[in-house]
Amino acid sequence: MNALMAAWSAVVAHPLFLIGLTLGVYQLGQALYERTRMALLHPLIVAIALLIPALWLLGLEYPAYRDAVFPLTMLLAPATVALGVPLYHNLRRIRQYFWPVMISLLVGGVFVTVLTILLAWLLGADFPMLMTLAPKSLTTPIAMVVADQLGGMAALAAGFVMYTAVLGALMGPWLLSVTGVTLPSARGMALGLAAHAVGTSRALEESEETGAFAALAMSLMGIGTALLLPLAVTLWLML
Amino acid sequence: MLLIKGLSWLILFQLIGTALNVLFLPFLPSAIIGMVLLVLFLRLRGQVSESIETASGGLLRFLPLLLTPPATGIMMYGSEIAADAAAILVSLTVSFILVVPLTGHLMQYLIKRQARREEA
Repeated sequence: MNALMAAWSAVVAHPLFLIGLTLGVYQLGQALYERTRMALLHPLIVAIALLIPALWLLGLEYPAYRDAVFPLTMLLAPATVALGVPLYHNLRRIRQYFWPVMISLLVGGVFVTVLTILLAWLLGADFPMLMTLAPKSLTTPIAMVVADQLGGMAALAAGFVMYTAVLGALMGPWLLSVTGVTLPSARGMALGLAAHAVGTSRALEESEETGAFAALAMSLMGIGTALLLPLAVTLWLML
Repeated sequence: MLLIKGLSWLILFQLIGTALNVLFLPFLPSAIIGMVLLVLFLRLRGQVSESIETASGGLLRFLPLLLTPPATGIMMYGSEIAADAAAILVSLTVSFILVVPLTGHLMQYLIKRQARREEA
């Protein structure tokens, strides 16, 4: 019995254990998703839903998990750079739709940011919490920088970004389908603007064009908010 | 070899992005700068080499897997979220549900209007 316990501890302590676990639950999610095509069973959702209780049962805190799977996360940077390829392939179309992109970005971006702050304020959130919620549609690194600049809590902002990601994976494409948005470029624009990298990842599943517009919307939303939101908040506080 | 070569290009753009982030653009993540630089580079070259196509296609296929570890980080914030649960859940969820169809419809409308004008 003791030998078994010792073997189990050695397996769990192995540097590859958590990477293996992550790959395992992800593939389980992939298999479920391919069978059912239900957004609720998207590999990302299944993986999170299985990983959180598994880590809890193993008595592991998130920072320990994050450090162990760093080799996977490290690839996120070149993968983000790689989004430049679908963007390039669709450059002609993006330039053709320059004004629709800019107008949708401005209206959608201002709408989601103002509505988030307004709703949270009505429900009693204080100023630092409002500034933590405001960048929730942005990709994590931009959201953390922006929250910090505004006097919010950067780590918690990353948590809200992830909650938004889960919403995006769960409901994004479905919301567009039930409301009758069929153009790939429009679907991509909405997914990238509202749900950053996860929205972009979902968009890429639909088509390269959808993915390209999502990558574009994600980047422009991030850049635009990073530039304009601190300015807007400063002006508002001066009034 | 194609994969290695393509991945080297992507990493090179990421690293140039890191340098520019520190030098001039502290508010933009280095990977986003790298992505913009890659688009500019491909535009100058006028085509995507087979190596970059292979590496980017390979990585993007696994994007949800790469996003799994950071998304699991949501488990860290249980107590902060519990304190302001109603404000947080309602504002994040309602704004998301409304902005997706709004942006999608607006973009779809503007594209169709532009197409009609070009025909006219």
